[in-house]
Amino acid sequence: MSGSCSTRFCKLGLVGSLGLILGLSTSIANAAAPAPSTTKIEFNRDIRPILAENCLSCHGPDSASRKANLRFDKRDNALELEAIIPNNPGASEMIARIETTDRDQVMPPPKSKKKLTKEQKDLLKRWISEGAEYQPHWAYIPPKRFPAPSVKDASWAKSPLDLFILAQIEKAGLKPAAEADRHTLARRVALDLTGLPPEPADVAAFINDKSPNAYEKLVDKYLASPRWGEHRGRYWLDAARYADTHGIHFDNFREMWSYRDWVINAYNKNMPYDQFSIEQLAGDLIPNKTIEQQVASGFNRCNITTNEGGAIAEEYSVLYTRDRTETTSAVFMALGANCMVCHDHKFDPITQREFYELAAFFNNTTQAAMDGNISDTPPKMFVPATSDRGRWAALSAELDTFRRDLDTRKKASRADFDKFLAGSNAQSLKALAPAKEQKFHATIDAFEAGSPKRGNGPILEMADVGDFERDQKFSYGCWIKPVKRNTGGSVIARMDDQHDFRGWDLYMEGGKIGAHFINKWPENAVKAVTTTEIPHAKWTHVFVTYDGSSKFGGVKIYFDGKLQPATPQADTLSQTMRTTVPLKIGERHSSTSRTADGVLIHDVRTYSRLLPSEEVSMLAGSTLALSLIEKPADKRVAADVDTVFNWWVDHFDAQAKAIRAKLATVESEEAAIKSRGTIGLVMNERTEPAMAFVLFRGDYDKRRDQVKPDTPDVLPAMPSDFPRNRLGLAKWLFLPEHPLTARVAANRMWQEIFGTAIVRTSADFGAAGELPSHPELLDWLALEFRDGGWDMKKFYKMLLMSATYRQAETVTPDKVEKDPSNRLLSRAARFRMDAEMVRDYALATSGLLVEKLGGPSVRPYQPDGVWEAVAMIGSNTRDYKRDQGEGLYRRSMYTFWKRAAPPASMDIFNAPARELCTLRRERTNTPLQALVTLNDTQFVEAARVLAEKTLKSGGDSTDSKIDFIAQRLISRSFRPEEVTVVKASFDDLLKHYKAHAGDAKKLLAVGDYKHDAKLDEPTLAAWTMLTNELMNLDEVLNK
Amino acid sequence: MNPFEKNLLGDYIRNETRRQFFARGANVLGGAALASLAGGAFAGQADAAVDPKLLHFAPKAKRVIYLHMVGGPSQLDLYDYKPKMGEWYDKDLPESVRMGQRLTTMTSGQKRFPIAPSKYKFKQYGKSGMWVSEMLPYMQKMVDDVCFIRSMNTEAINHEPAISYMQTGNMVTGRPCLGSWASYGLGSMNDNLPTFVVLVAKPSNTEQVQAISARLWSSGFLPGEHAGVSFRAGADPILYINNPDGVTPEVRRRTLDGLKQLNEMTFKRVGDPETHTRIQQFELAYRMQSSVPELTDISKEPQSTFDLYGKDAKEKPGSFAHSALLARRLVERGVRFVQIYHNNWDHHGNLTGRMPDQCRDVDQPCWGLIQDLKRKGMFEDTLVIWGGEFGRTIYSQGGLTKENYGRDHHPRCFTMWMAGGGAKGGVVHGETDEFSYNIVKDPVHIRDFHATVLQLLGFDHMRFNFRYQGLDARLTGVEPARVIKELIS
Repeated sequence: MSGSCSTRFCKLGLVGSLGLILGLSTSIANAAAPAPSTTKIEFNRDIRPILAENCLSCHGPDSASRKANLRFDKRDNALELEAIIPNNPGASEMIARIETTDRDQVMPPPKSKKKLTKEQKDLLKRWISEGAEYQPHWAYIPPKRFPAPSVKDASWAKSPLDLFILAQIEKAGLKPAAEADRHTLARRVALDLTGLPPEPADVAAFINDKSPNAYEKLVDKYLASPRWGEHRGRYWLDAARYADTHGIHFDNFREMWSYRDWVINAYNKNMPYDQFSIEQLAGDLIPNKTIEQQVASGFNRCNITTNEGGAIAEEYSVLYTRDRTETTSAVFMALGANCMVCHDHKFDPITQREFYELAAFFNNTTQAAMDGNISDTPPKMFVPATSDRGRWAALSAELDTFRRDLDTRKKASRADFDKFLAGSNAQSLKALAPAKEQKFHATIDAFEAGSPKRGNGPILEMADVGDFERDQKFSYGCWIKPVKRNTGGSVIARMDDQHDFRGWDLYMEGGKIGAHFINKWPENAVKAVTTTEIPHAKWTHVFVTYDGSSKFGGVKIYFDGKLQPATPQADTLSQTMRTTVPLKIGERHSSTSRTADGVLIHDVRTYSRLLPSEEVSMLAGSTLALSLIEKPADKRVAADVDTVFNWWVDHFDAQAKAIRAKLATVESEEAAIKSRGTIGLVMNERTEPAMAFVLFRGDYDKRRDQVKPDTPDVLPAMPSDFPRNRLGLAKWLFLPEHPLTARVAANRMWQEIFGTAIVRTSADFGAAGELPSHPELLDWLALEFRDGGWDMKKFYKMLLMSATYRQAETVTPDKVEKDPSNRLLSRAARFRMDAEMVRDYALATSGLLVEKLGGPSVRPYQPDGVWEAVAMIGSNTRDYKRDQGEGLYRRSMYTFWKRAAPPASMDIFNAPARELCTLRRERTNTPLQALVTLNDTQFVEAARVLAEKTLKSGGDSTDSKIDFIAQRLISRSFRPEEVTVVKASFDDLLKHYKAHAGDAKKLLAVGDYKHDAKLDEPTLAAWTMLTNELMNLDEVLNK
Repeated sequence: MNPFEKNLLGDYIRNETRRQFFARGANVLGGAALASLAGGAFAGQADAAVDPKLLHFAPKAKRVIYLHMVGGPSQLDLYDYKPKMGEWYDKDLPESVRMGQRLTTMTSGQKRFPIAPSKYKFKQYGKSGMWVSEMLPYMQKMVDDVCFIRSMNTEAINHEPAISYMQTGNMVTGRPCLGSWASYGLGSMNDNLPTFVVLVAKPSNTEQVQAISARLWSSGFLPGEHAGVSFRAGADPILYINNPDGVTPEVRRRTLDGLKQLNEMTFKRVGDPETHTRIQQFELAYRMQSSVPELTDISKEPQSTFDLYGKDAKEKPGSFAHSALLARRLVERGVRFVQIYHNNWDHHGNLTGRMPDQCRDVDQPCWGLIQDLKRKGMFEDTLVIWGGEFGRTIYSQGGLTKENYGRDHHPRCFTMWMAGGGAKGGVVHGETDEFSYNIVKDPVHIRDFHATVLQLLGFDHMRFNFRYQGLDARLTGVEPARVIKELIS
């Protein structure tokens, strides 16, 4: 920029400082120097902090703790009571009281343990003598577009934002750092936009790209990556307090990863921030809501819940509402709302009543307080896989049509059925059951039997029945009635459970039905388990058919003649499953723990062929019909008659059969979609208008006034045409004049990139939070964001395109002196990566990372006992069973998050428990972290895999191999002095492992990923430990 | 170019540390604040002892071993003797006693609240004449070393909020726990172990184990290094402490040497003080790797030790007895605060069936721990605390016979005890009514208890605070709390 420009900026700079009177501070919060005696006192900078720290807790907004009815947060009140007399400090009671030595009179009172310094007293006096001007708290004044300040070296700026930064750097007598090397930039941009290190080829391409927009192309490339949505989403999940368990007491599994997928996809689609927010706050209330919008409303379902026996429902409902109110306040407005739960805010002009008015928006859900310890606590909805969503929408209409047709037909054919039943007898019905190749038939129990006829042994034992091989087709099943809940065990088994569990069975797990076909459990076996359950205390016909293929796909399980969806729990059968033990009904060969306890069994049959579904249904229906006609007509249970009628219609009425066939096709399609889908935990409003009670001290049982939903008075009023529900609230946040929404979002995005936000307390913009380091810049950013259509990619791109961002990280003694914590950004922000990034980095550089987007959570390596140590017996997240294969290598954001015991390695790196909304993670530097990156199987395995790759692709020389590793780990080559150190390490390691080949073997066995046996083991071990050393470099762990 | 000559660097780190310290100094007293800023998590090597100027009072306790009985042990069957209750067997608790106080939903639907007198015999022991149940033969021997509080009370009625209240002073999760406050205020006394260690002991009976979670030893809004480090029974007492298979200490040392040299080059080039801290943390990690196995190896303890704690200490890793012995070894090596959780005290039913195992698990080891501390000369300045999160009801939950019964949660009174570390031996403080339902004399709220413990550690609970969300947050919260002077020697 030219000299004349900077003159212009100079003038505008004056305008800028006039803005201060309007209520903005230019001070840096943690380095606020008192105003020199020549400049005018500024309330927000000089006086408010003194009042907040020393006076407002007794003379502030909180009416309950207010003394002498005096408040210093309101000028009128302080003047009226003559505590402050403008321009006359000598007559002002405030000054008299802070100056006196009388212990009974002095302020702050000695028992408050607070004391004013001489400087503070002087400031107060000067402020009063200058007229005691107040300013509203900066954050409640709508952002204003300040002209960019004038700077000496305007040519440095690449974006207007740089001028705001540079002005302060220059004011401190410093200069910005030079632009970073290209390899540094490539690494930094990749990490900031995708959370992953760049591929060496991409770094090289950028370094060699001579085009003027090479850097912009780099930024755009990573912005377009699907990894972008994962990386941004990961920060958001902290804010949303997303996790995979309920959090309190049993801390059971909660299935809501569909919400996580929604967040990732929203970022990848670059959904504007207003829409992004409104759908999460009120997706369920949007007219013509889509499945996605409802899933988004899961934001308000991520709070922790309980099902503790003895818990009082109202107490928890109040807590949930409170958590939702606080989370929304913090995430979108950086209001520290939790103080107002119990009392008026001490520093902010928001009352307790206003908190409960805000809470009323969230206090109208149909959700019960007790989560039931189930994964899908209502309100919930089915969420089809993305590819199924179109078809899913059409399906229900088709199903309706066919069901209606079938109903009509059935009504017409009822008379025919009555005739059939009247004309049937035991013999005619028995004849309907498939008889061909029936190998075994036992009627054990009467249908209406009350209790199982057995003590501690099997009901029946047959040595010569069911001796099937894995390549034979066969079918088997029986009627089952569970009389105990959550029971399980073998119903029919020819299985030698003492010898590899060889054999086959029909097995119950809770209400689910499984079928095993085993050579050796678990490595050589097929196991199918239904995803559906048979009902409790009711007879169900359960039948399994097997096609001799030794595959899961060859197993079908039917309930009452209807095929059930099933999942494979093993699919590796490749050797014989024959065994000499007898077939037993009610248990396996020898164990007592696997008996089907509390299950009634009847009519067991085996066939040495594959029964088609038609015959399975015929078997189920005819045996039920048989039980029916054994009773007099007036003793028959109507529901059973209907079941038999339905069966009869299906099999004997030609018209109905035709409709049924069409219906069955659609139904099986529906079942298939359901088995591929998941569920979403969503919000759902009660029909009555929302309300809440003001709660004395926040106690659920101390109700005071009833209040209606409303927004705090200090913020813009909610337009009267907005609905008084969460949708109205969400829209209100995005009123153009809302002073907080855009600032808070811009501030947090800044924090992600620069490590420290402009308002360092990014979760608290209130009077108790810190002041912005660059207030005018924050406003500028907020307005750019708002006026740019809340476009998040555009906003991040703006940050990354700036000269501020592109600086090198070098620190100079001058900067240490004048900008020790880099609040001025006089150099690049340098900080240790977050937990997920640290782990993902190791996976990515080794090539182990499985880049699969979305889906259920995974269970990577974790030391034994982390869950067990804290979980209750009976919790379904007590036993951590780690995944095998790709689940070990997914991005860390997909790791199963148990709230009572967050992922161990990430917990150590300051990942939150996700019990409450987290807007700023801590960043510690501890020895426990060193132990993770040195010793965790995940990291050791990654080092070994990278070492192996290096040996295969890193060239022939040690130098080229070292460079291969360096390019991956730090996106650059080592400097010569570094190479010397690295080589010395390697030489010693190689010497060691050559002398201790046994150690090498052991080291290479760490982790599931098998190493290439062709490689020389001591050599690979030495490279593995060298890589392990290098993966722990400060430069690797830092962004 | 190297802008960082050695001295400049040292000055820089010292200055930065001091600056940060004083920036927080307005609301912080802790020696740890200084120590940990200088070196990270367990640092403070240079400040092995807390500067007494930083404390409000001369501390009576330098370290704490807190034994939390998860589930809420029955005061009625252990410490709070109610002889008249025999006559009340199966009679209803008078409404005048219950006064409509809230109950858990596990018994609020009961038609009757029949009184279940304790099945156990009580006798008076020691100079104080404290009544102790026959279930605690070892406790009987040491009542004069122990300070009993029979008038503890809380508002929480269910486990989750109640344990959180007991540990963090707040029923809602997210606040720092007592151990974190101690770590924050007092700092470390060693250079190779954490400041605050948690041991989750395995009860021998697991009929009704309650949930606990890492949030109970979280540092809340205090800096993360003050969170408890969970030690586990077995091969890797601290997560990731062991080198991978095939990596000897020599190999690890060699890689750390290389790493250190490379990181120092980075530090010289970039000048980020965090790099320097990281170098120190890797060294500390290495020292921990060698000190932790030594710590957990109890094979060199003499037989006399196991005679104190009982044979479980030797034979059952992870048992309460074993944990109690580890606790002594931890404090002996300079760990400031050890928290042991022992579970399965939630006796809604089958109380007398379960009580024997529970008492056998903890009675002798508690005695053994105190004798052991005495033997090591550490009893005077080590505070031992025993207690649950609430008490249990005089009325029976579910079926009642003279031989067996269950008891629901009872927040209105329960018994805790302290010993050593300035707690006055032989004191029996507080009294409950004849039903052990309401307190009739000297109530001690959780806040009062916390205030008292802080006092023993040298802190005025009103001034021991941390600036959080604009407020000076305290362990004892905003409601008035009182130091119970009668408990202090």
